[in-house]
Formats: sequence, structure tokens, C-alpha cells
Amino acid sequence: MSDIMKNFSVTINVWRQNSASDKGSMVSYPVNDVSPAMSFLEMLDVLNEDLIKKGDSPIVVESDCREGICGCCGLVIDGNTHGPDKNSTVCQLHMRRFKDGDVITVEPWRVKSFPVIKDLAVDRSAMENIMQAGGYVSVNTGAAPDANAVLINRADAEESMDAAACIGCGACITACPNGAAMLFTAAKISQLALLPQGHPERKERAINMVEAMDKEGFGNCTNEYECEAVCPKEIKVSNIARMNREFLIANFLSNK
Amino acid sequence: MNLVFLRRIITTSIGRKLIMAVTGLLLVGFVSFHLMSNLVLLNGQEAYNTYVEHLTGVPFLLFIELGLLSLFLTHILMGIYVRWEDYRNSPSGYKKRNWQGGRTIGSATMLYSAVTILIFLVYHIITFRLSDHSIGFYEMVTNAFRDPIFATIYVLGGLAMVLHLSHGVQSIFQTLGINHQKYTPFIKLGGWIIALTMAAFALLPLIFLFGLESHFMGMLH
Repeated sequence: MSDIMKNFSVTINVWRQNSASDKGSMVSYPVNDVSPAMSFLEMLDVLNEDLIKKGDSPIVVESDCREGICGCCGLVIDGNTHGPDKNSTVCQLHMRRFKDGDVITVEPWRVKSFPVIKDLAVDRSAMENIMQAGGYVSVNTGAAPDANAVLINRADAEESMDAAACIGCGACITACPNGAAMLFTAAKISQLALLPQGHPERKERAINMVEAMDKEGFGNCTNEYECEAVCPKEIKVSNIARMNREFLIANFLSNK
Repeated sequence: MNLVFLRRIITTSIGRKLIMAVTGLLLVGFVSFHLMSNLVLLNGQEAYNTYVEHLTGVPFLLFIELGLLSLFLTHILMGIYVRWEDYRNSPSGYKKRNWQGGRTIGSATMLYSAVTILIFLVYHIITFRLSDHSIGFYEMVTNAFRDPIFATIYVLGGLAMVLHLSHGVQSIFQTLGINHQKYTPFIKLGGWIIALTMAAFALLPLIFLFGLESHFMGMLH
């Protein structure tokens, strides 16, 4: 076995919190026999198995697809949203990014509107509430329409798809110095504003989703662009400009 | 009459951003005009006093000044409100936190540059607007600039303007929904050029403090 594949040990300094009302604190755990081929979440799995064997409660951490496409996993590792790699989610982070003896700080998303459920898992219902306010298109029942009945030009479809790449992980909100949910909401408004299917509800959508976002208690946008820098799906802040346009046009130039 | 569109401008985050951006844009226009006026100082006593007399002789001056005051007050009070709200909502309690390169020195220090400008503004209005103008405008301004403490305050005010506008100008366009890969790099460059031009506010007191004004005489005609 080559040196590069040698197993090593790290110390995990992790946030433990029993419930939303619990104060919570950082707790250190040694993790031995870490394989560089492991993902970061697999390393936490190994640590949890160890904790269960010792009769301790395992660290609660949310994850689902582990392919970087579902948006479930979200941690702040050593102060970096989604870990040290750019355009990546936590599940795509591997232990080969660390070395023997490293002390790794692991914290949950700390956003006022995302209360901690337990340890590293947070309640992101606030984002769902924004979606429910208008992040959909109404479709009539009946036979499926012909696929080519509505023509969409390629460039608009691509731009819409770029916005639709948002996986709703909440990294943008976590990274924002003001705790604003602008990039998330902007991506969800943009993906539909760019397509003809989204046009019937375009104006209500812009106003309702922005008002829902404010109601959830997210912060104001001061155009710091930290959101764009941490987004695993490279959603651009030009979407926020589009959301501002959509909102202002709906507010000033329509009957809404 | 349905005034819900006005209510939304005050009650939504994007509406409040719009108020900051529009008042900010108008204020950038005002300070640019103010800077041009300051540069007339370099044309000497007669030119400056004549210019200021023309300027203060415009009709309805009081209304223009009150308009300007309300512009400043709206920008300042809305800024304070938005900051307070952000302070309540911002993520806190991180043991470790690294910024990932979105923020700039200008954007991260908006609050501090704003407070510096505000303190400067109050000082500026007390010393120049509400003061005794009987010795002549040129004499009043240049005497003040030759005082090191006075000049230092003016230099700090000017530099705070550079910092504030380095983020502010491009931020106005983003808020108004003007962002596209075709021209946003030019907007950002233009924002920096406008911001750096504000350094002239800091340079003028220095020119008079070190007695260099004779070198510039007649350059600006």
C-alpha cells in the first residue's frame, strides 16, 4: 500500500445540541483509522458507530443522496460552508483533503430561521414556505400537452436550467453576512420567469415569494456576493438582479 | 386608489433595498456636482467667490436644501433600520468562519465608512454651512484647509467616500436589477472610477495645507 493510501487519525470538534431549546456546545472526539478514500460523511458514520458502541448518542447529521444533488447535507467545516472545496457539497468532500492529526471543526448551518433539530441537523422549513408561496406552475388536469406545443429558445432554456440547478441546500443563506435568502429565492423565481410555462403566474409569484421570504425572518441583501462564492451549483447573483426586476416590475407596472 | 405598491416599497426587503439604491444614486449625483464645485477653488479667490455667489443666489435655495436634507436623512435612517434588522437576522455563534471571496474591503466596511461620512457631514455642515460667511467663501474654506486638524478630518471624510462608493455604486445597479455578464464588468469598473474620483475631496485640503495651490492655478478653465 502506498503512503498516500495510509489510514490516519483526526480529531473532530463538533457541535452537540440536544434540541432547539438546548444551549449546545462544541465536543471533541478522536477518530482513528480514517481512510483517505472515505467521504467526510462516511468518516462521521464511523465515528457514530463508535459512539453507539460506547453507549453515547450518535451525532445527528442529515444526508440523503450522497451524490451532491439533493441538498440535504450541509455543514460548516473549519469555517467553510460545505467544506473547503469550491462548487461542492459536504458529501463530495473526501478525507484525502485532510491529514494526520488535523483538528476539524464541524458546525451546523447557523441561521436564525433554521432552528437546530439536534446536533448538526437543522429545520429548513422556512425555505419550503417560500416555495409554497409561488415556486410552482399551475397545470390543468387532462391529457398531457404535446411536447413541442410551446417553443422555447435554447438560450432561455439554458439560463432557466442554470437557475434550476439550485438544490435548496441553504448554503447561500448560511454564508450571507446578513442571513439573507435572496439567492435561493432568486433562483426559484428565475427558473420559472425564464420559461413561458411560468408566465401566467409570474407577477404574483415574484411578489408572493419575496413577501414569504421576508415573513420567514431572513435578512436583507447588501450585495456582498458571499452566496455566489459558496453555492455548490454555481448559481449567479445575476439571478438576484432578475428577482429585483421581477419584483419591481410586478409592483409598479402591474395591477398586483 | 390602491396604494399597496407604496406599502410594499417600505415593508419588503427588496423595496427597502430600492430606497437605499435610489437615494444612493441621487446622492452620488449630488457629491459629483459638489466635487466639481470644490475644484473651482483651484481657479482662485475671485473665480470661487463669484461661483459660490451664483450658486447661493438660485431661487428656492431653501427648498433645494430641504430636498437634499431629506435625501440624506432617508438614506441614513433606512440604512440604520436595515442594518439593525440584519444584525438581528445574521447567522451568529460560529466558532470558525471564513469569507469565501464575495466580500470586498468596501462591502465589508460599509457601516464604518457610513458612520465616518456621517460624522464628517455633521462637522462639515457646522463649520461651512451654519458658520459666519462674512470673510468671504474662499477665505473661509482655504483658512480651514490650512488648519492641520481640519484638513485631517476632511481627508478622512474623502477617503471614507472612496471606500463607501467602491461598493455602493455597483451595488445600486444590482439592486435596480441591472446585472448582465455583458456589461456588469464595466459597471464594476465604472463604480471604482467614480469611487476613486472621490479621492479629490481628500486631495484639495492637502493642496492648501501644503501651499501647493499656485501650481494648479488656471489649470481648470
